[in-house]
Amino acid sequence: MGEEVRKHPIIICRCRDVTLDDVLKAIDEGCEDLECIKRRLGLGMGPCQGRTCIPLVIGIMARRLGKKPDELLIPKPRAPVTPIPVSLLLKSVDVKVEGEGGDENA
Amino acid sequence: MREEVEVLIIGAGISGLAIAYSLQKRGVKDILILDESYIGAGSTGRCATGIRASFTSKEHVVLMKHSIDLWKKYAAGELGRAGLYYDQSGYVWVATRDESAEFFEKLAKLHNSLGVNTKIIGIDELKELVPPMKVDGVAGAMFDPTAGKSYPFDTIFAFLKLVKGRGAEVVTRVKVTKILTSSGKVTGVEVKGGKIIKAPTVVVAAGSGSRELLGSVGAKLPIENIPRHALITEPYKEAFKPLVIDWDTPGVPYIVQSKEGGFFMGRDVEEKPELPLTSQRIDFMPKAVKPLTKFFPWLRNIRVLRYWVGYYVTTPDHHPVYGPVKEVEGLYIAAGYSGHGYMMGPITGELLAEWILNGKPHIPEAERLTLNRFEKGALIKELAVVG
Ligand SMILES: Cc1cc2nc3c(=O)[nH]c(=O)nc-3n(C[C@H](O)[C@H](O)[C@H](O)COP(=O)(O)OP(=O)(O)OC[C@H]3O[C@@H](n4cnc5c(N)ncnc54)[C@H](O)[C@@H]3O)c2cc1C
Ligand code: FES
Repeated sequence: MGEEVRKHPIIICRCRDVTLDDVLKAIDEGCEDLECIKRRLGLGMGPCQGRTCIPLVIGIMARRLGKKPDELLIPKPRAPVTPIPVSLLLKSVDVKVEGEGGDENA
Repeated sequence: MREEVEVLIIGAGISGLAIAYSLQKRGVKDILILDESYIGAGSTGRCATGIRASFTSKEHVVLMKHSIDLWKKYAAGELGRAGLYYDQSGYVWVATRDESAEFFEKLAKLHNSLGVNTKIIGIDELKELVPPMKVDGVAGAMFDPTAGKSYPFDTIFAFLKLVKGRGAEVVTRVKVTKILTSSGKVTGVEVKGGKIIKAPTVVVAAGSGSRELLGSVGAKLPIENIPRHALITEPYKEAFKPLVIDWDTPGVPYIVQSKEGGFFMGRDVEEKPELPLTSQRIDFMPKAVKPLTKFFPWLRNIRVLRYWVGYYVTTPDHHPVYGPVKEVEGLYIAAGYSGHGYMMGPITGELLAEWILNGKPHIPEAERLTLNRFEKGALIKELAVVG
C-alpha cells in the first residue's frame, strides 16, 4: 500500500464507521467473540445488519485470536432482516390491542 | 480458571459486575465471575437504558435516588474515563385522560416528599422538552428532571475493565449447574462438565437463571421470567432528549432516542412467562409503534432496524430480592428487578458488598427486600396505586 492509502483509516463497518484500528483495539482489550465486539463497537448493527462487515471481522478475529470461525459466536440476524418503514408495518397486521394491562415500567 | 476463590459471583450482567466493583473498593481481591454466555447477554444488554427515581413505593424511590447519585459519581470518575456515562435528560409522562393528569399531581407530591423533584408541566414546557411532538389530546404531563439514560454496553465494559484490572477473573461461557453446600454452609459451585470451584461466599446475580440456581439448594425464589420486546429504528439527528411515556395507552408505550440517534420503543404486550427469547412476535412492532404515532406522526416515515426480546425477571411485588439466603450461610442473591435492574446496578453493588462484608446494608429500606419477605407475607406496598 502506498503512503497515501495508509494515511486513511481502513473502514470495516461502513454502516457504523468502524475502522480496522477500532476492531484490533477491541480484540486486544479482551473481546473474544463477535457477540462482544458487536456490542462494543456497534459493528454489525447498521442497516445491513453486518452483511458487509461481519465476514471481514470473522477473518480478522480468527487470525488474531487463533480461533476457528465457529468458535466466534456468530450473531443471528434480528428481525426485520432489512429495515422496514413504520408505515408499512402499520398496514401489515391488525394492531388493535385491547385491555393489555401494563405496569409502569421502562 | 481458579479452583478456589473467596467470592464467586454467578452472572456478568450489570449486577454481578457492580457487586464485584463495590467489593473491590472495600478491599476484597479474590473474586471470580462466571457467565454462561457472553458479557451482557442477559437482560442488561437488552434493556431500554432508562434510569429514574420517580417510582411509587418508598423502597424504590429511596434506592433509585441513591443509585442516581452513584451513576453521577461513577460517570465523573474512573468508570467515566472507561466509558460509563449518565445522560440526565429526564423522563416525560404524558396523559390523555383527565383522571391521569390528576393522578400525576398526586404522584409528583409523593415524589417531592421523598426528595425527587418531579413536576407537573404545561403544554408549552412539554413542547420545549419534546419539540417534534404533536400535543393534541394531551390532558397533562409530568417531568422528572433527575431521570436519564445510559448505554448498557458502555457501562458494563467500563465495569469489566476496572474489575479485571484489579485482579478479578471473569470467565464467560461457563454455566453453573449447582450450588454446593455442606451442613448449612455454601462450599462452592459445580459447573457444566462437572468441575467444582470452591468458595465460602457465592452471589447469585444470574437474572433469569437465578431461580433454578437457588432451587439447587432447596430455596424458593418466586420469580417469573416475562418476555419483553423492544425495537430500534435507523439513526436520525437528535430530535428530543427525554424518554417519553404514553401513560394512558394500555401497555404504556415509551420512546427514547439512543446516543446513536435510533428511536428505541417498547410496550408491554401480553406474554406468557418463560417463553424462550428466540420466540419472536412480529406483531409487537406495529403494536409498539402505532400508539406513539399519534404523538409523533413522522414516525410513519422512518424505518425499523432491529427488534429483540429480553426478560423482565419479575417478583410478585415487582421489587428485587437482595441479600442473604437464610437457609444457606454464605449464599447471597441479587435478582428479580422486574424491569428496573439496570438503573439499580450501582446501588445493587453497594448493598450486596455491605451485606457480604458487614452483615447489613446502610440503607434501611433495602433490608425489607430480602427473600424471606415472601414467606413472612411482608410484600412491598405501592404508596400510590397506579391507574
Ligand atoms: C426490553 C427491556 C427493557 C428494559 N428496560 C429497562 C430500563 O429502561 N431500565 C432499567 O433499569 N431496567 C430495564 N430493564 C431491566 C434490566 O435489563 C434488568 O433488570 C437488568 O439488566 C438485570 O441485570 P442483571 O445483571 O441482574 O441480570 P442479567 O443482565 O440478566 O445478567 C445475568 C447473567 O447471568 C448469566 N447466567 C444466568 N444463569 C447462569 C448460570 N446458571 N451460570 C452462569 N451464568 C448464568 C446470564 O448469561 C446473564 O449474563 C429492561 C429489560 C428488558 C428486557
Ligand atoms: S457494514 Fe457493518 S452493519 Fe453494515
